[in-house]
Amino acid sequence: MAEVVLQNVIKTYGNLYAVNDVSLTVNDGEFIALVGPSGCGKTTTLNLIAGLLPMSGGDISIGNRIVNDLDPKDRDIAMVFQNYALYPNKTVYKNLAFPLQMRKLPKEEIDRKVQDAARLLDITHLLDRKPRELSGGQQQRVALGRALVRDPAVFLMDEPLSNLDAKLRVQMRSEIKRFHHNLNATVVYVTHDQLEAVTMADKMAVMSGGLLQQYDTPANVFANPVNTFVASFVGSPAMSLIPLEAVGNALRSPEGWELPLSQLNARKAANSTTNKIVLGARHSTLKLHKAATPGAVPGKVYTVEPTGDVTFAQVFINGAVVNISLEPTARIEPDEMVWVEFDQERMHLFDAETTMALKAI
Amino acid sequence: MTDTTATRIRPVVKKPVDWWRWAGRVFLTFLLLFTVLPMAWMILTSVKSQFAAMQYPPQWWPAEPTLNNYFKLLDPTQRIGQDFLRYFWNSFYVSLLTTILGVVVAVPAAYAFSRFRFPGRNFMFFAVLVRNMFPAVVFLMPLFLLMRWMGLVNTHGSLILTYLTFGLPLSIWLLKGFYDNIPIQLEQAARIDGATRLQAFLLIVMPLSTPGIIATSIFSFIGAWNEYVYAYTFLSRDDQMTLPVGIQRFFTEFATDWPGLMAATFLMSVPVVVMFLVLQKYFVRALTEGAVKH
Amino acid sequence: MSTITGQAAGPSAARAVQKKPNIVSRIIKHRADYLYVLPALIVMLVVIAFPIYYTIELSFFRTPPNLQMKDKIWTGLSNYSLVLNSSVFHEVTIQTIIWTLASTVFSFLLGLGAALSLHREFVGRGVLRALLLIPYVISAVAASYVWKWLYHSDFGVIGAISVALGFTDEPINFLDNRQTVLASLIVVNIWKEFSFAMVMLMAGLQTVPDQLHRAAMVDGANTWDRFWHVTFPHLKGVSMVTILLLMVANFNSFIIPFVMTGGGPADASHIWITHIYQLAFGRQQWGAASAYAVILFVVMMTLGYFYVKALTRGDETRQGA
Ligand SMILES: Nc1ncnc2c1ncn2[C@@H]1O[C@H](COP(=O)(O)OP(=O)(O)OP(=O)(O)O)[C@@H](O)[C@H]1O
Ligand SMILES: [Mg+2]
Repeated sequence: MAEVVLQNVIKTYGNLYAVNDVSLTVNDGEFIALVGPSGCGKTTTLNLIAGLLPMSGGDISIGNRIVNDLDPKDRDIAMVFQNYALYPNKTVYKNLAFPLQMRKLPKEEIDRKVQDAARLLDITHLLDRKPRELSGGQQQRVALGRALVRDPAVFLMDEPLSNLDAKLRVQMRSEIKRFHHNLNATVVYVTHDQLEAVTMADKMAVMSGGLLQQYDTPANVFANPVNTFVASFVGSPAMSLIPLEAVGNALRSPEGWELPLSQLNARKAANSTTNKIVLGARHSTLKLHKAATPGAVPGKVYTVEPTGDVTFAQVFINGAVVNISLEPTARIEPDEMVWVEFDQERMHLFDAETTMALKAI
Repeated sequence: MTDTTATRIRPVVKKPVDWWRWAGRVFLTFLLLFTVLPMAWMILTSVKSQFAAMQYPPQWWPAEPTLNNYFKLLDPTQRIGQDFLRYFWNSFYVSLLTTILGVVVAVPAAYAFSRFRFPGRNFMFFAVLVRNMFPAVVFLMPLFLLMRWMGLVNTHGSLILTYLTFGLPLSIWLLKGFYDNIPIQLEQAARIDGATRLQAFLLIVMPLSTPGIIATSIFSFIGAWNEYVYAYTFLSRDDQMTLPVGIQRFFTEFATDWPGLMAATFLMSVPVVVMFLVLQKYFVRALTEGAVKH
Repeated sequence: MSTITGQAAGPSAARAVQKKPNIVSRIIKHRADYLYVLPALIVMLVVIAFPIYYTIELSFFRTPPNLQMKDKIWTGLSNYSLVLNSSVFHEVTIQTIIWTLASTVFSFLLGLGAALSLHREFVGRGVLRALLLIPYVISAVAASYVWKWLYHSDFGVIGAISVALGFTDEPINFLDNRQTVLASLIVVNIWKEFSFAMVMLMAGLQTVPDQLHRAAMVDGANTWDRFWHVTFPHLKGVSMVTILLLMVANFNSFIIPFVMTGGGPADASHIWITHIYQLAFGRQQWGAASAYAVILFVVMMTLGYFYVKALTRGDETRQGA
């Protein structure tokens, strides 16, 4: 087991910074999730850690050893690929045995380890099949097995669940979580599904455009997003963002209304570079009123989506769509005028210019 | 389907004659005759005696079929047989060596063209492809000089070297297509599993490209087996000649022995036709690969 | 605890800026890659680059028949004017065009018909396809001898059949007749290569989505409409490549005319290639033959440009490590 440290890692393709100055530390035994939208550099980062791509700058160390110039095979890592990358012409058994054969282990030991891994993953009955004769979930287990047999210091996983259907995904999610728990391995797990990251990881690293935006526990990322990108990326439905203007101790809308701010929030707003502010609020912190209420701002209902446990209302406020969760019993119609009350304690204020979260200093 | 039962509600429409289908059948019959009849006549002639072949009107069916022409060609105790068998062996040897060398040279090149981005890659790739555009004859004179300078005239080396370059462009193109279709993740997985780049290639990629290698091999082999122009120009010694050229010697020396020539032609075609029939799938794939992208 | 990196990359951006690598350093960086292509490259260089250079050089000299290069005499462009102004060249050029176009068009049409007829599943389809492909597989030398025998002026079976069927009174002399020789050779060429077009187009037909046919049928299109509006547009790409490949092959064909007639009678079945060969190896006019080859070269390069373009269509560059 080992820790993984990235220092100012850069990868360029021509003029494109696929990974731009990323620094992060994965502690020994930690499970971290690398999340971000498509094309943000997650796979590239993972491939750099694996040594499959040469770096353009920076250092990577695994277990206190700088590995910049080491071959993938010498880095003591295992990787699960997005499309599994099982060797199509080898049986499951041979797939699992391949990493061990490459390390010149004696035959009996290989057999023992393969059988152990197969038992652990419940694929013993599949050992004689070829990958194309397996279902998606089974292939996924084999890919996991091929990573497990070797007992590596670090596991790298690139969207290992993205090819599975929703139900299987939930099931494999908990299985991977359990393996991590049992093996206590260091895991870097790439996903574009923030829910996966939140549910599985000890820490999550949010990337966008090659840059690391925030690296913290899921709870902290959820509670204190550093900028509007993270705010809108984490959480489902996403945090609603309303562009407004700071005037004294209130936020003013061009539509005419004003939202008074608490002292703390007013101090935050005063720190913005211009008076343009983005107000952020999660659906569960908002209250909906059917009549004008002091401190609440007016809006118009756009759609109402009952999901069973909760009903989501989408309300137009100052041109922005705001998600609000309601009791399933709530009676509300599209095009109705409503008033929305914000929770001063749990609202977020961002600088519209820099997109960064505002702090009260 | 044509009988109507009272219970059937749908009115029965008499299916119209599908003229297109019939036109297709007639056309195919015509093509089949066009293709097969010349070959049939070759075989029929080859089992006639010299006398029976030279008649007008011709014997449509051999009156006294004989395998004498074949016995003569395959009899190692006679001069004709010795020559024919030597040509046969020469052709086989040259074709086989061309094929093996072709694979050895084409595989790494195709792999590099598929996987690496090195400066000049596109230029080299097109240069290799454009080679296909030039007729053998254009290269004949300078190559003849070159072979003379290298001392390769009247050796099989000169043929193998030139045949190699016929086959290479197509082989590289074909194999590149195969490598393009092998996900790069497989190699990455192998390298993480502890393989070096070379091991990843040999143990994972090569086995997956076997169909491509078979396909290109058939092509090189058939191409070399059938080649005529270079063999005709580079070889003048009897014992070096390959079949297409050697057969011509038969023709000029035994000018009027048509049945013998037909038998020789038949024997010469047997290996490639058998090879084609056995490995048809790969052959057709090699032919169409690249032209048909899905 | 939380690391925060802002949108602005800050001072590190300066670190990140690298000078754009120049060509030499890129070549050095990729030096290992060249090892893979090196063998192929050497072979191609020896057997292609050198001959091209040599042909061009020879075309500007008068070289003695024995090809003693030290005795060659600079003659400038006179070889070119010699070739371009000879009347045989004009005659042969017309024959080359007829040969190339007729062979290509008929092979393609027969191949198209065969592909369309074979597209439907039926018993024996595979066998039929294999049979039709045999002429393409066997050597052109074999084909030439077989057809030479079929065309034989006295004992040829084609002549005998046409007499038996009452088309002619006596066997026609196909090959020893200026009027019929080129057409007779073109038939042989078509016999040999139409199945190539067939296989290519059959592969092309497989890419036509079935739904489209069904949709067209629902829309009330008849067989011809379906072919014209659904099948044909899908075959365009393959047809282009096939026609180009046929053109190139036919333009470059040598064996059939050379073995069957040697260009005769009276040059009536010569095409450029056989003519060049005759000039070079028959009459030892190396300079003229080289000039001729260079001209051919230029024509081929033009065709080659389209060939490569058609062939590399959709070959999007993949990214590798
Ligand atoms: N070989 C390459 N050459 C040029 N650009 C590349 C190459 N590989 C990746 N890129 C670019 O680098 C950026 C990051 O790519 P990367 O594959 O890391 O994204 P990702 O976050 O894994 O996205 P996804 O979620 O779609 O897998 C993208 O903009 C991509 O286009
Ligand atoms: Mg990715």
